[in-house]
Amino acid sequence: MEIIQGVLNGFQVAIQPINLLYCFIGVFIGTLVGVLPGLGPAAAIALLLPSTYALSPVSSIIMLAGIYYGAMYGGSTTSILVNIPGEAASVVTCLDGHAMARQGRAGPALGIAAFGSFFAGTLSIVFLTLLAPILVKVTLSFGPPEYFSLMVLGTTLVTYFTQGSMVKALMMALVGVLLGSVGVDTISGRYRFTFGIQTLMDGLGLVPVIMGLFGISEVLLNLEQLVQERTVYAAPTGGLLPNREEWKRSAMPILRGSLLGFFLGILPGAGAIIASLASYAVEKRVSKYPEKFGSGAIEGVAGPEAANNAAAGGAFIPLLTLGIPANPVMAILLGALMIHGLQPGPLLVERAPDLFWGTIVSMYIGNAMLLVLNLPLIGIWTRLLRVPYARLFPFILLFCLIGSYSVSNNVGDGVVMWIFGVLGYLLRKFEYEAAPLILAMVIGPMMEEALRQSLILSAGSFTIFLEKPISAGFILAAALLLVLPLLTRRKGLAKAWTTVPGKFSD
Amino acid sequence: MSRDLTSGLFWLAIAVLICLEGFTHLKLGTLRAPGPGFFPFWGGLLLGTLSLILLARPLNSRERFGSGAIPWPALLVVLGAVLSYLLFLETVGFALVTFFFLLLLFRLGKTGWIKSCAWAVVATALAYALFRLWLKVQLPRGFFGL
Repeated sequence: MEIIQGVLNGFQVAIQPINLLYCFIGVFIGTLVGVLPGLGPAAAIALLLPSTYALSPVSSIIMLAGIYYGAMYGGSTTSILVNIPGEAASVVTCLDGHAMARQGRAGPALGIAAFGSFFAGTLSIVFLTLLAPILVKVTLSFGPPEYFSLMVLGTTLVTYFTQGSMVKALMMALVGVLLGSVGVDTISGRYRFTFGIQTLMDGLGLVPVIMGLFGISEVLLNLEQLVQERTVYAAPTGGLLPNREEWKRSAMPILRGSLLGFFLGILPGAGAIIASLASYAVEKRVSKYPEKFGSGAIEGVAGPEAANNAAAGGAFIPLLTLGIPANPVMAILLGALMIHGLQPGPLLVERAPDLFWGTIVSMYIGNAMLLVLNLPLIGIWTRLLRVPYARLFPFILLFCLIGSYSVSNNVGDGVVMWIFGVLGYLLRKFEYEAAPLILAMVIGPMMEEALRQSLILSAGSFTIFLEKPISAGFILAAALLLVLPLLTRRKGLAKAWTTVPGKFSD
Repeated sequence: MSRDLTSGLFWLAIAVLICLEGFTHLKLGTLRAPGPGFFPFWGGLLLGTLSLILLARPLNSRERFGSGAIPWPALLVVLGAVLSYLLFLETVGFALVTFFFLLLLFRLGKTGWIKSCAWAVVATALAYALFRLWLKVQLPRGFFGL
């Protein structure tokens, strides 16, 4: 009953014209971001965050969420037509989607990607609606020890799911945690690592750091191919609708991809990329003709595209119920909520039911908008692709500059962004990943508070984390994740990553 | 030097500095009442340990850097342009800095002078309209009041 009440309440919020408008703007920008390679959703949302300060919290979160799941739709378009994933999570779509396009079946490939995305997006929101309130009830009983252990598990998961070395990923998580401690120590009130610099007194800003790591560094990396022209390989000819046979072959992959994607999406660090890779692997394994994968099997488009959209929905669960972000995009949404004075976590649904349910319901509406937006406008999106990168990157940089400056009208934040841009570039060159860093930076302060409170509770004994059963479970799971790679070397995951051409940030 | 060796040494140095700062300037406190230096100190210690593990591993990533040669000129121009933008933004003003910033970067992309100028003017005007007039972002006006 509570859920029905909540959903109805959410509808009243989401259907307000102003919120419909921002939902539309969100999914529109999201599609744009998805189509344009070289600008991911994390950087895009960080860029637009300052422009939402004047909006109501509900409108701004609806818009920012729209950018995120909208980008998942848009990313597939470029994968299929140009063989360039607009979004990291659409990487595997290149394999069969582009092969289909070369055979003159770009239309059905785009069609099934959009429909699979729509189905998966909707299904994941249904799950989100049903699951979130239950999880909220569970997590309400968590105290500092449980929270600390959960955050340890979350961070470990993030490092477990990374592409490269787990040692390096763990190092990045620790660097993030340490960066998170810059500024005032909330318990003692002392300044830490500020070196007397005004900009650092309030801690490192999330927006400039993310823009640097995901915006600026991405541009720097892309400078390597500055003068290359992109050619749209195959513009869709004929209808976008798959034929009866293709529908039949896609049905199960879409369903499997949706389920897989949703549950992988909940896990911190796994997210849309792993979900799409896993779905592709599963479809190839269960297929009666695995040899056709890679040369235009529609299952290889339908499954992964469903999975990455479902994962985008699943990723909202840890944010809305625990206040822990599962990926860099969720980290910025967490920042956005806090800017509006809302603390994400189990109390969110009670303290801000309009926001909680309004955002969830807006995602149903947004998904429907995306379906309408994507297919008929495909011509516009492909024309956008012809914009050469040399024309594009100055704008990305300009938006980053204006965005970082306008957070608090402070040039210092721009300098922070510049430094993290350089750092992000170096990290990529030295094969480190930025995602664990940014997640740990966000949860670092929460982690520290939970740790110190736990120790005060237990009068200085670390056994408190093992005496409480839930906390002990989290710690045990984290320990397993740390030991497991030593035994198995994460072969499956490493193999899945090798199918990915090139490296992607978020 | 291999990638892991260089970066491992770098992070080890950072970790040592953080531990020192946590131990000396900030206070570690006790386990019963952890001080402001407690968390950074142990975090730094873990980071240092992991750096040592990285350094101790067989150095398997000896191959050269990523996907292509590093385009030093373009890289330095872009980094310099971004930094100069920040440096001059408050004195020269948003509109003018934006114009020169875009002009430089369009030129970097091998667009002709006239085209670059035209693009930079149009883009600056659009950015001005979008951020200052529509979104009402407080951007510095500089000495021309733009």
